[in-house]
Amino acid sequence: MIKGTPRFEAFTDEPITLVSEQGKWVGDFEPDLSKDQLRGLYRDMVAARLLDERFSRLQRSGRISFYASSSGHEGAQVAAGRAAQAGRDWIFPYYRDSAMVLTLGMPTREIIGQMMATRLDPNRGRQMPAHPGHGPLKIYTAASPIASHVPPAVGTAISMKLQATGEVTVCSLGDGATSEGDFHAGINFAGVQGAPIVFLVQNNRYAISVDYNKQTASQNIAMKAHAYGMPGYLVDGMDVLASYYVLKESIERAREGFGPSLVETTVYRYGPHSPADDDSRYRPKEEVEAWRKRDPLPRYRRFLENEGLWDEKQEKELLASIEEEQKAAQQEAQEAGKVPLEWMFEDVFAEVPDFLREQQQRLSPEEK
Amino acid sequence: MSTQNIVQTIARTLDEEMGKDERIVVLGEDVGKRGGVFLATENLFEKYGPDRVMDTPLSEAAIIGAAVGMAAHGMRPIAEIQFADYVYPGFDQLVSQAAKLRYRSGGQFTAPMVVRMPAGGGVNGGHHHSQNPESHFIHTAGLKVVYPSTPRDTRGLLRTAIADEDPVVFMEPKRLYRAIKEEVPEGDETIPIGKANVRKRGDDVVIISYGGSMAEAQRAAEELEKQQISTELIDLRSLQPWDKETVLDSVARIGRAVLVSEAPHSLGFMSEVSATISEEILDSLLAPPMRVSGFDIPYPYAYDREYLPGPNRILRAVQQVLDY
Repeated sequence: MIKGTPRFEAFTDEPITLVSEQGKWVGDFEPDLSKDQLRGLYRDMVAARLLDERFSRLQRSGRISFYASSSGHEGAQVAAGRAAQAGRDWIFPYYRDSAMVLTLGMPTREIIGQMMATRLDPNRGRQMPAHPGHGPLKIYTAASPIASHVPPAVGTAISMKLQATGEVTVCSLGDGATSEGDFHAGINFAGVQGAPIVFLVQNNRYAISVDYNKQTASQNIAMKAHAYGMPGYLVDGMDVLASYYVLKESIERAREGFGPSLVETTVYRYGPHSPADDDSRYRPKEEVEAWRKRDPLPRYRRFLENEGLWDEKQEKELLASIEEEQKAAQQEAQEAGKVPLEWMFEDVFAEVPDFLREQQQRLSPEEK
Repeated sequence: MSTQNIVQTIARTLDEEMGKDERIVVLGEDVGKRGGVFLATENLFEKYGPDRVMDTPLSEAAIIGAAVGMAAHGMRPIAEIQFADYVYPGFDQLVSQAAKLRYRSGGQFTAPMVVRMPAGGGVNGGHHHSQNPESHFIHTAGLKVVYPSTPRDTRGLLRTAIADEDPVVFMEPKRLYRAIKEEVPEGDETIPIGKANVRKRGDDVVIISYGGSMAEAQRAAEELEKQQISTELIDLRSLQPWDKETVLDSVARIGRAVLVSEAPHSLGFMSEVSATISEEILDSLLAPPMRVSGFDIPYPYAYDREYLPGPNRILRAVQQVLDY
């Protein structure tokens, strides 16, 4: 599927769409995913949406301090999680990527453990919620400073190229991140080196409250790729299949030595930036409602139903089984208990140096 | 064993280590065909090629940031920042990525890398070719910081830094690059990070310094000898972690300390040394520890030498602690 001419055209004015809002396949090729794979994309999106709702509840009840909702981004994120080779390719998420890490196979109990800083958090309780990381799955622990992960992502891809490992890096970021110097520094270096990396920009049109037109005068973000010597694809991110096929092609072309690409997915953030945000101050209700109508989940469900791959019974069973699974995962994450205080001074360096041991002694016995 | 200056030692040490370990990659601006603007990577490009001696875009964020990713992916990158003064576009990569990666990932990802940077004044470079930004790095949890002052220490510490599992900021005193030559061994000698060198034993006063200022401290100590004042001279070599034990031993024994650093005075590294002395061995002191520092002004082009804490300022401080 990958060798030769790319299937998709770069730098289009309109987003690449394969499934219409009515759930009809409009691509000029036949989807080659199996029925199970097609249903799997839906399952992942539903699981992500339910997990998202769970986190909103946990946040409202004060059990987690922060959450960056991924509702509305599932099309792009699930596509990325399925298009990459989980455990082989390196994934650089930002903080709104819980649907992506879930799809890649990060266990739900560990995602929740990260949210709650319990012993099940692979990051050992070092980060605020919504900053996942997973060593075995090559999910490079997220960092809050926007776009600061872009140059390191490029570094991994250069290393892959130098060592001819056949791995690919997927670097995920939002529209606001493309204004940061680190984005430019990183993507420019990737272009120069022809590094095997795909920049996935999830453009939800808002960086907290600042809308796209205050972020850039560029017609879209995909076109910026041109200046870095790589193709830029504009994709309907509410269309999971379009996102999947474009990302898959970009990733596999990178793997085969064709160099980097940028994939801009148009998505929408249904919730506020975080629970501390009041999005009614900066975006009209009508806008949110209009995007709700394009929700990637019902749209893709219509597609599956049209293809005879999904019905109401399957829907009910799916919701019930995910709910049960996530409830159990939350229980496990909670029961693991808060990360112990002794971990606080570890992992600053490979070994705890004397001066940190000394400082650790200054904690009073009751704090210990 | 051969006689080398500091910058020759850097190039030769990089060559030795690259020859032994294929994971080592050198990257930076002009490090390739040019061999570095100071020739610290001379001949490496010819020997190891463009993939391992990589000329990068003119972007410190790209250099340091890519080094973080390469390190996380299993390589041993050695990044060169052309002048320490130019590290700031890459500063966030050092602070938010390199320094925090191990901690924020719970040890799942690490960044064993070296960031070399020529630092310090005395080269008629004005404020953008002369600064000593070590305090920024020392104040960043997760970074190790070394600042040797001799060819032999440069080799020993560079080898240790390359082998270290954590990011090391390797500061080089550029005005001494070609000023000192000494015999540098070729064997397995390494110098641990965090170990000072007592360059000279004495009884009346301890002078503590590091980096480029060691040259002035040495000259001051020689002058004091002529005046029959016996000086103990310590080269810290490492700033994070630093060798508190050696410093406190000497100061407790002698009771008088002069702390010399050409970095700006306020919150310079010697403020930390002074505070530690006061907290831990106040009763042994015969005089307050006295700092001799650069000034809290941008590095002035027209008064390059006046800015530096030269031997005369050091001698005046020694007189003050002796007269206290």
